[in-house]
Amino acid sequence: MSIRTRSLTKTYGTTEALRGVDLDIESGGIIGLLGPNGAGKTTLVEVFEGLRTPTAGEVSVMGFDPSLESVALRQHIGAQLQATHIPDGLTAFEVLRLFASFYERSVPVEDVLERVNLNGKARELARNLSGGQKQRLAIGMALIHDPALLIFDEPTAGLDPAARRQLHEIILNLKERGRTILFTTHYIEEAERLCERVVILNRGQVVADGTPLELVRSSEGKSTIFIDVDGPFDPAPLLAVGALEQERRGAHYRFSAIDSTAVIVALGEVLRSQGVTLTDMHMHRPTLEDFYLEMVDDPEVADLAVGGESEVAVRKPVA
Amino acid sequence: MSAIRGTLELSRAYLLKTMRSRSALIWTLLFPQVWLFMFALIFRNMPDGMNARMPGLFTITAFSGAFFGVAYSLVTEREQGILRRIWVTPATATMVVIGNAVRSLVMVAASLFMQGFLARMVLGVNFGPAVWQVAVVLVFGVWAFVPLGLIMGSAAKDMRSAPAISNLIFFPMVFMSGAALPLDMLPGWLQGFGRMLPTTYLVQALEGVMVRGEGLSQQGLPLAVMLTSGFIAFGFNSLLFRWESTQPLGAKRVGTALAGLTLLYAIVALVT
Repeated sequence: MSIRTRSLTKTYGTTEALRGVDLDIESGGIIGLLGPNGAGKTTLVEVFEGLRTPTAGEVSVMGFDPSLESVALRQHIGAQLQATHIPDGLTAFEVLRLFASFYERSVPVEDVLERVNLNGKARELARNLSGGQKQRLAIGMALIHDPALLIFDEPTAGLDPAARRQLHEIILNLKERGRTILFTTHYIEEAERLCERVVILNRGQVVADGTPLELVRSSEGKSTIFIDVDGPFDPAPLLAVGALEQERRGAHYRFSAIDSTAVIVALGEVLRSQGVTLTDMHMHRPTLEDFYLEMVDDPEVADLAVGGESEVAVRKPVA
Repeated sequence: MSAIRGTLELSRAYLLKTMRSRSALIWTLLFPQVWLFMFALIFRNMPDGMNARMPGLFTITAFSGAFFGVAYSLVTEREQGILRRIWVTPATATMVVIGNAVRSLVMVAASLFMQGFLARMVLGVNFGPAVWQVAVVLVFGVWAFVPLGLIMGSAAKDMRSAPAISNLIFFPMVFMSGAALPLDMLPGWLQGFGRMLPTTYLVQALEGVMVRGEGLSQQGLPLAVMLTSGFIAFGFNSLLFRWESTQPLGAKRVGTALAGLTLLYAIVALVT
């Protein structure tokens, strides 16, 4: 077990940043921590890093209590902080060499530079690196002692798509090497692409926790079906199986439905019986973003129905 | 072992950063030389001229270099989040403090060496019977001043407040210690206050070895005061160090540090 929390609470004055967070994170894999601004994501990861002391509750990271055993813990975790400046009067090589010296064991600086695609920038002053290169250097600083657990706070924030893609590759490589990566992000598609597991925080509480697919399946959202037909078409049989007609423009129709499969099956029969030709069709299923917006827009949402044996946990806020 | 290696690497990194910063080099190395020639102009008609003023100038150079250099560096690194990033490693506050202190010691030593060299070669200043004694006394002075800069660097919240607070400390240290003006030009009560400042003891010891031709053994009291002051102030650094400005400093901690140092100098002032 990499991380375990029970009833974790953190307050700043009268503000409750974390309100009874229960979380178990097993070793290995990529876990995304999503949530709107002020949801408590950064506070939560800073508690894991030993930078914040919880007000109440239990927390264990790699078997250590971050508040009491922070120095020992930090030998085993690598962190990339949100909005951290790198010592800019040093070269990329010198920055990594400095950070390597803080740990009992470290990997050669050259290896880390290669892992974060900065081999050609070793002698470049940090201040002269581009935004993406600086961010990769920040990731390199977290990798210098080859830790088992990596905690990244918005590692791709403000980067262009190419730079983000490069960071994604680095994160996926880390996963292949058996590391556990916990990262916060505002990019839903990034979490959907990279993470085996997504945890959504809202107002200091975990409101959803599961694989991206499980979370999408538990969404209340409807699929949208677009069809173009050639010939006289009566959509009544589709409405009978739960489709709602949203738009009709000439031969173009748009329907929404919770059970999109039933509508597709009915559509096949309708086309045959009415002798109509289907000229185009596509469907938009609910995405993780739709689910995310459901969760953070309505924090009072409680115990959504979760089908089958899904392990997804949709939690009811306690307050 | 990683603590020693980390401290050495931090010291090295801080020095590299300073050496690559043009403004840091100008203020640390060049500016004190400007002061040297300004002093030479101002005091050229006074008895014993620069020979009498050199202890005061060395004190100003040592104090400003050690105090401002360390204080501003810590505040800037905290504001930029660099200290915070170091905080999530196993590095300790002591390592950061020592790294900063070493950088400051090296830079102030280089600055004093340049000033001394120019003073001797260009202005013909007399350094007394033994130059090494001057160097030893300066080491004691810098030892006393660096931790004061570190305390300042921890106490000041940001670069908006740091210059105001440090000037509040710098001017009394320079003008009431005999460093900028001869001490006997000040009223008696101010001279008494001056005996509560660490800079006064560096001026005294330097005047002893440079102007009065005394040996180190006759500088026992000022050297002991500076040595003790340095130990006490370094001790308080671990009490006051902040990785980020949102960490509370605690009025009790600041009070304890100030009270400790004030007590030391008050006792010495009363004894002398």
